[in-house]
Amino acid sequence: MEQHLMWHWPVIGYLFLAGVGAGAIAVSGIVVLWGPAGEFRHRAALVARLGAYIGPLPALVGSALLIFELGRPYRALNLLTSNFWFMVLNPSPMNWGSWFILLFGVFTTVYALSFLPWRTLLGGEWGERLAARGERVRSPMAVVCVPLAIAMAIYTAILLAAIPARPLWHTPVLWLLFTVSAISTGLSAIILVQRFMFRKPGAVRGAVRREDPAFRVTEYYLVSMKVLLIIAELVVIGLFFMFAHMTINSANFAVQVLLPGGELATTFWVGVILVGLLMPAFIEGFYLLRTAVLGHEFEWPYVINVSAPIAILFGGLMLRYVIVVGGQITGPVGI
Amino acid sequence: MNDGSDRPVGRRKFLKTAGQGAAAVATAGVAGGGMHAAATKPSTGTREKNKVQYGMLIDLRRCIGCQACTVACKAEADVPMGVARSWVEYVEKGLYPNAGRTFLPRLCNHCSEPHCVRVCPTGATYERPQDGLIVIDQGVCIGCLYCAHACPYDMRFLNPVTRFADKCDMCIHRVSKGLVPSCVNTCQGRARIFGDVNDPNSEIHKLIAKNPVSVIRETYGTQPNVYYIGLDTTDENTKKPGQYVRVTTNKAKSPKRT
Ligand code: SF4
Ligand code: SF4
Ligand code: SF4
Repeated sequence: MEQHLMWHWPVIGYLFLAGVGAGAIAVSGIVVLWGPAGEFRHRAALVARLGAYIGPLPALVGSALLIFELGRPYRALNLLTSNFWFMVLNPSPMNWGSWFILLFGVFTTVYALSFLPWRTLLGGEWGERLAARGERVRSPMAVVCVPLAIAMAIYTAILLAAIPARPLWHTPVLWLLFTVSAISTGLSAIILVQRFMFRKPGAVRGAVRREDPAFRVTEYYLVSMKVLLIIAELVVIGLFFMFAHMTINSANFAVQVLLPGGELATTFWVGVILVGLLMPAFIEGFYLLRTAVLGHEFEWPYVINVSAPIAILFGGLMLRYVIVVGGQITGPVGI
Repeated sequence: MNDGSDRPVGRRKFLKTAGQGAAAVATAGVAGGGMHAAATKPSTGTREKNKVQYGMLIDLRRCIGCQACTVACKAEADVPMGVARSWVEYVEKGLYPNAGRTFLPRLCNHCSEPHCVRVCPTGATYERPQDGLIVIDQGVCIGCLYCAHACPYDMRFLNPVTRFADKCDMCIHRVSKGLVPSCVNTCQGRARIFGDVNDPNSEIHKLIAKNPVSVIRETYGTQPNVYYIGLDTTDENTKKPGQYVRVTTNKAKSPKRT
């Protein structure tokens, strides 16, 4: 690529990681608020706990990436302090976004802390007290964190979509695309981590053994949800192309970089569509249908078990890559 | 600018127009384009009429593409290697014998509705109330380059020395002392006119009133304050089938016009 890219891997990584974190928190919070009761309660609690642990990390790592890429990290504070110096309500999406990240970071960290096994970590009276408090604040925190997570996921798209001068980004479909991708990558991260944990049954406190029927059933539901999200994402990608195609001039020109013959076509069709969406959808769909239609046990080889979520995470990263890079190597046509 | 208004001008019409003197030649462009835009004044929208608004008028009929303005800018603002605040694009169009080359000097338009200001998350980019120029406060900027993406004219870049956003500032250090910007000062063809577009007695105001002028990418709604006489809006991407167009931006880094 000859063009000089103003936003590169740090921004791409940030958008991806913020999406994963937001997705994981959204899934976790939803499970806490509306999760199953009774027999599957302990399994759901594990999903919620993993989501809570995963959530704040990527978002904070992503923001750190950006801040250090600027070269003068302390200056990043201007993002927040400028609201007091110059304008209380700055219309810039990046300004809103930095407040979102701040709130997201603070609230999700508290939320994650509320899940820590304080009794084992600290023990004694304090451990008891913190654990009890954690259990109490979980649901109220989830009420705050789920909207914040969804706001974060949408913000990563609005940051790009707000710019008319970048026709590939300036589409009303982008927020939907990034939000769906965020939730599906967040969910994949949860599934991936719990699969690593189940390698050694009982390694984590509260973990359930592989043979437990609760494990299979939850797994079945999580994977079904993931396949549905993939289908939704494919539909949104269809809408994305349709919008660009129906728009006269710039957007129409810009989307050519993703179509066959375009500079990013291979990355997009192989990385995003094939590896990131179609392959996991087909493989997981096969095992799901085997259970749903033929009534087999929901069981699959460990390799697929682990590689499907990795493929989805990779696809999510590639999606951010083609959009961020594609937007910069195209521009307004005409003068 | 591509609001579908530029109609192809046939060869016959072109030849006829070409016979009507130098002014008409330049206004029609080598092979049309921008005719409609040139016939109507760019919309003024929310522009305030009673304040000082510095702007520039570039008479493309007089520009000889010498790049003296580019060099003057580079020296005046000490712009580092590899980036540029101001440059002159060459637009070659048509096939022999109806081929021609026009020049398009580019600089920040100091827009009245600037997208760069709207997206700046820190308020570092702002409009100076005293003269309407858009400037960057280097003490506040974080170098995020959001503004550089937002500018529909690709005028902004990361200054490799300061690591902050940079662009043409219309030589505020000169104009605030009553001088003209360096590019205007140096222009060989006196193609560049600088002044307060809102002052009815200024040369620029009179010329804008008297001549058909147009601005770049008017449809973006940025309301630029850099006006052109005889602007040709044809681009490699929007050329008519069979038409030969080659644009050389002469801009330091990005080889494509974005
Ligand atoms: S030309 Fe670009 S950088 Fe200059 S004021 Fe307009 S939008 Fe901002
Ligand atoms: S690079 Fe500087 S001037 Fe541009 S948007 Fe960021 S903070 Fe504002
Ligand atoms: S100095 Fe004047 S004549 Fe020479 S390229 Fe610049 S605007 Fe054109």
